[in-house]
Amino acid sequence: MSTRTITIVGFIAVVAALVSLEILGRSPRTRIPTLGEWLGYVMRSPAGRAVVLLGWLWLGWHYFAR
Amino acid sequence: MTENTSAERPARRRADTEPRLPLGARPARNAVIAAGLIGYAWVIGGAAPFSLKALVGVLLPGAVLGVIAYARPPERIPPPESIDIAGFSYWIIAIALLFEWEAAAFRDGSPRWHPSLTDLVNPVLAPHPVKCAAIVIWLLAGWALVRR
Repeated sequence: MSTRTITIVGFIAVVAALVSLEILGRSPRTRIPTLGEWLGYVMRSPAGRAVVLLGWLWLGWHYFAR
Repeated sequence: MTENTSAERPARRRADTEPRLPLGARPARNAVIAAGLIGYAWVIGGAAPFSLKALVGVLLPGAVLGVIAYARPPERIPPPESIDIAGFSYWIIAIALLFEWEAAAFRDGSPRWHPSLTDLVNPVLAPHPVKCAAIVIWLLAGWALVRR
C-alpha cells in the first residue's frame, strides 16, 4: 500500500468517524451531541457565533474562490 | 445557563407574533429561492479561481448572512442548555485528527505521496455541476448556521 493510499484512507476514516458521530448523536439514548446541537451550543455567545460563521466563510473561500 | 443574548430577543419576539408556516407552505416562493440559489451557484461556480468574481461571489453571501445573523436574525432553533462534555470530546478528537492529518500533508507541501484534503477534493469539485451543487450546499449550510 502506497503512502498516498494510506493518506487517502486516513482522510476517509476520519470523515467516516465524523459521519458516524452524527448518526450516533441522533439515536435516542446517547451522550453524543449532534453537529447541530454542539454548534448551536457554541453559537450561544456572539463570539462563538462569529467564529463559526467565519469558519463557514473561510471554507467557502478556500474551496470556491481559490 | 439561561442567558438570553440581544441577538436572540428580536427573533423570539417575531416568533411570538408570527406563526411559522410549515416547509412547503409557500411552494412558489420556495421555488423562486431555490432557482435563485442554483443560478447564483452556477454563475459563481464558473468563475476562474483567484478571480475577483469568485472572491465577491463568496464574500457577498457571507456579508448578507452576517447582516441577517446580527441585525435581523430569523426564528432560531433553541440551543441545548448544556451538552455532555464526554460526548462532545469525541467530536473534538475526530476534528483534531482531521486537522492533524491535513496539517501533516500541508507541512510536507502536499506532495503526491502525501496529498492534502484540499488537493484531493479540488479535482472532485472541478466539474461545473458538482461545484454548483457544492456551492448550494455551502449556502444552505450558512443559512442553517444563521438559524442556530
